[in-house]
Amino acid sequence: MYLQQWILDKQDLLRERESDQKVLSEEEYQKIIIFFANFIQSLGEHLKFRQQVIATATVYFKRYYARNSLRSIDPLLMAPTCAFLASKVEEFGVLSNNRLITTCQQVVKNKYGYAYGSTEFPYRISQVLECEFYLLESMDCCLILYHPYRPLLQYAQDLNQSENSSDSLLQLSWRIVNDSLRTDVALLYPPFMIALAALHMASVMQQRDTKTWFAELAVDLDKVLEVTKHILGLYELWKNYDEKKEIGSLLNKMPKPKTAPSRPPSQGPSAQDLPQQGGSQSSQPTQQDT
Amino acid sequence: MDYERKKNLREPEQTNEAADSEVSTHEQGSIEVFKARDKETKRYVALKKVLMENEKEGFPITALREIKILQLLKYENVVNLLEICRTKATPYNRFKSTFYLVFEFCEHDLAGLLSNVNVKFSLGEIKKVMQQLLNGLFFIHYNKILHRDMKAANILITKSGCLKLADFGLARAFSANKGQATRYTNRVVTLWYRPPELLLGERNYGPPIDLWGAGCIMAEMWTRSPIMQGSTEQHQLNLISQLCGSITPEVWPGVQNLELFNKLDLPKGQKRKVKERLKPYVRCQYALDLLDKLLTLNPNQRLDADAALNHDFFWMDPPPADLEKMLSHHTTSMFEFLAPPRRRGMQPHPQQQRPPVQQQNPDQHYDRVF
Repeated sequence: MYLQQWILDKQDLLRERESDQKVLSEEEYQKIIIFFANFIQSLGEHLKFRQQVIATATVYFKRYYARNSLRSIDPLLMAPTCAFLASKVEEFGVLSNNRLITTCQQVVKNKYGYAYGSTEFPYRISQVLECEFYLLESMDCCLILYHPYRPLLQYAQDLNQSENSSDSLLQLSWRIVNDSLRTDVALLYPPFMIALAALHMASVMQQRDTKTWFAELAVDLDKVLEVTKHILGLYELWKNYDEKKEIGSLLNKMPKPKTAPSRPPSQGPSAQDLPQQGGSQSSQPTQQDT
Repeated sequence: MDYERKKNLREPEQTNEAADSEVSTHEQGSIEVFKARDKETKRYVALKKVLMENEKEGFPITALREIKILQLLKYENVVNLLEICRTKATPYNRFKSTFYLVFEFCEHDLAGLLSNVNVKFSLGEIKKVMQQLLNGLFFIHYNKILHRDMKAANILITKSGCLKLADFGLARAFSANKGQATRYTNRVVTLWYRPPELLLGERNYGPPIDLWGAGCIMAEMWTRSPIMQGSTEQHQLNLISQLCGSITPEVWPGVQNLELFNKLDLPKGQKRKVKERLKPYVRCQYALDLLDKLLTLNPNQRLDADAALNHDFFWMDPPPADLEKMLSHHTTSMFEFLAPPRRRGMQPHPQQQRPPVQQQNPDQHYDRVF
């Protein structure tokens, strides 16, 4: 039930993004989302999160922007908010406010200087706590997430027994699942399919013969192939993409909140869908709460 | 999407309307619960306000757990979370809305029913209550959830006689991984229903803690008030020892390793008297036997929900009987917090009092409450 509610349709996804994509191309939009997925990953690693917690935070982030424009809340505020909520939901414990904000400042300064220049992380904890409300609301309080990691472990174990493969296959698939967090697949397909796609890709890359094993699965392999295409699309994009060079101007181009973030991002999903003027003009995300 | 729309239909209306004189808001711990009516369907619901107590914590982790757990647990004998709603963010509340958990409305709670002398349970009806209670526990334990606050006030009963475990504010998921010792907090469960392992400082506990509470509640079906009303942790352990016998490594191997075993003064030489002391109230030998097995000191030997449901108590005459008919005589809601203070002479032992539960009360020493 809760799972189904959050398996979205490709068409829905495109429709929700329409307003942002008046300003950004599909590819530019993806690059921004990838940037923030990376940001959440760095944040999580600094905070010593398990990968599961990082994955939850990343999917929360994606779910929020699947329903809301980038303009509604600055993703630089939403990203730590997702980490904050995920650490509570995944029973990682409540982060100290100080630690969260300091970590954000450090990560922005040391790791993402190429994106933000000399601008410091501009948010305070009060804004994170407020943002948490909008996040919860936008997700209809659906907090439980399933990730591909657990099914992946089971499949790999099963495959191990029948095909005598090794741990390197699991390791590679695991990394592919991590990469999949930078695509839309977590919004579009159930976790077990993503796990299968990763396993399939890994066995092709390592030239393992897993054909019989896959043939015996009672799974729609066309769907699995769709997942694979998404992930391959990401690898294709990465080939000719230098985030360090491009992301600064993309962030400048990104639609931004017009008003102080203490306002509700939207009154119902329709209100913010209407695009305002194209190409946003402000240079840095420095809007402040008043 | 129609979340917004629904929300508008269901602004929490504090029901001070004439017809609802029986309803009030009450605070249990840090939680406020309201009765409200869905403006469209006219259906009554219970609203539990999410209190933002600790500003630094953001949305409280206990509320997140309760939401998460109840979204997972959909079952006849578990309270039904209908949705989450919130008040509109307006300039008046600085765009900070209040969240409410919306539950299906249940007319009674077990503590309220038991404190009303006019409510009488037949043996078959007691069986029905316990069977549903254990069914609920079986389901949540099967789903790897501990309730951690079993008590009569958290057992809701609808007017048609369906029992629901409620208040998952302290509940959490547990890991069945036996090899790995967990470190959960032992500051859970209302004192009078707290099992010996928690009182002795165990932090690697599991489903048996809820079964102890089930035993206490079952006894209460006959005694009509909590059977062990300790005023401190030490006092509670004394009461337990007097009823269940001394807590020793002989009856409970490994107990000596619990953190507080040597730090607390545990009564020695006490004989186990569960059946003997409950016999005047409980005439059914199967009931006594089940009570004896639920109120087992050693958590590893305490019956689990499944075994309890298979106990002869539920399978011998009279069979479990529906509660609806009996409850139909009682048309007003009975909640513990609505119950009038008990009058002297009405009850076998007038010194009983329910809340406050955790307060120390050095003046009162009721070593035997029944």
